[in-house]
Amino acid sequence: MQVSLYRAVEAVFRKEALISLRSRASWLVVLMFALTTLSCVSLLMQGDVLSPRLAAAMLWVILFFSLLSGAGRGFADEEQEGTLMALSVYGSPQAVLFGKGIFMAVLLFALSLLIVPVYLVLMDIPVFSVLLLFAALLAGTYGMAMAGTLLSALMVGAKAQNGLLAILMLPVLLPILLPAIVLTAGCFSGEAVRISYLVGMLLYDGIMTLAASLLFDFLWYED
Amino acid sequence: MIRLTFSGVTKCFDGRTIIRNFSAEALSGQITAVTGINGSGKSTLLKLAAGLLLPDTGSVIVREDGSVWRKNDRCRRVGMVAPDMHVYSELTARENLDFFLGFRYNVPLSDRQYDELMSRVGLQPDAILKKRVRNFSTGMEKRLHLAILLASGADVWLLDEPGAHLDRAGRCLVQREARRAAEEGKLVLWATNDAEEEAEADASIALSGR
Repeated sequence: MQVSLYRAVEAVFRKEALISLRSRASWLVVLMFALTTLSCVSLLMQGDVLSPRLAAAMLWVILFFSLLSGAGRGFADEEQEGTLMALSVYGSPQAVLFGKGIFMAVLLFALSLLIVPVYLVLMDIPVFSVLLLFAALLAGTYGMAMAGTLLSALMVGAKAQNGLLAILMLPVLLPILLPAIVLTAGCFSGEAVRISYLVGMLLYDGIMTLAASLLFDFLWYED
Repeated sequence: MIRLTFSGVTKCFDGRTIIRNFSAEALSGQITAVTGINGSGKSTLLKLAAGLLLPDTGSVIVREDGSVWRKNDRCRRVGMVAPDMHVYSELTARENLDFFLGFRYNVPLSDRQYDELMSRVGLQPDAILKKRVRNFSTGMEKRLHLAILLASGADVWLLDEPGAHLDRAGRCLVQREARRAAEEGKLVLWATNDAEEEAEADASIALSGR
């Protein structure tokens, strides 16, 4: 008896969550990186007020580097543990992509829900549109996570994986980082923001999901 | 009837030809041994059969009653045990099994089925209940691989030296299960250097190792 791809994605997601909880190192590194950056920035500012654009840019830079420190582990850990072959033999590449991608998105979004309030309090930044900020974070972290998962798969077998990932990630993520920063800045300043930025981010998410789905099979098989 | 056909297959790695213009066939209902010296390409041949590698030239095709298997069929109907294949060390045997079955779209095992399966491969269900795989011996992990293969219900078994790291009883278990699988109409391709295992096979594919 067989069930749908959904169950396979769910199996990968559950496996990722279970292993992450047991080997705490991976997500603790991400969390500690974010908290260290936040502490440094807030201590250095010493009560000075950041412009909304700068504050928004800094927030997304923190999320970007948190992703870098976390996403690289996605497939590197599988490679290190020798489990990639079992994954390739026993299931669908699409389940791996979406299971890992969605797990990374949830992790990153949860991290942003933890970081953003601390950031807002420490930097004394008002938020004029919580809903829009929430939507920007949701769309931004999903797109970043899917792109990160795809690029992490691309890095399997490469030397200097982290360095390469950082180099490749920047141009791939710029199209979503820029509107995310503009939207977030709008939420911080209270100025009207064109909703087209959010539509652009959602389009990026859709295109990234489709592209990742189409390309992943080619990355998954062959030497 | 499942038929695995290698036609004029050549595979190179880093400029070195591992398999050159190779043709052979394996059929369901029998154990086919793949033999050859170290480096002759036995593991590569099995990976080609699994679809994990693509041949540089030639083709590897699985046919069932005349129709060709697509990539999805291979994902759902091929199982493998290989020395460089590992399960998740941070998970328990049950969690690994549940994961691979869910991943493969199979329904999960009931507690009774799980206990029976573990006993069948020589693992004590109670003794390994909360034990993570990283605390297993190599032989125990091999037995878990066999359990995953059995539970997956694969119709094509690719066994790459499955007796390695196993004691005498473990090797007998693998031979017994492979024979049972062949009798149930599964295709068993078995890479081995062991004369006894080779003698168990119904057919043989010899790789020259040039």
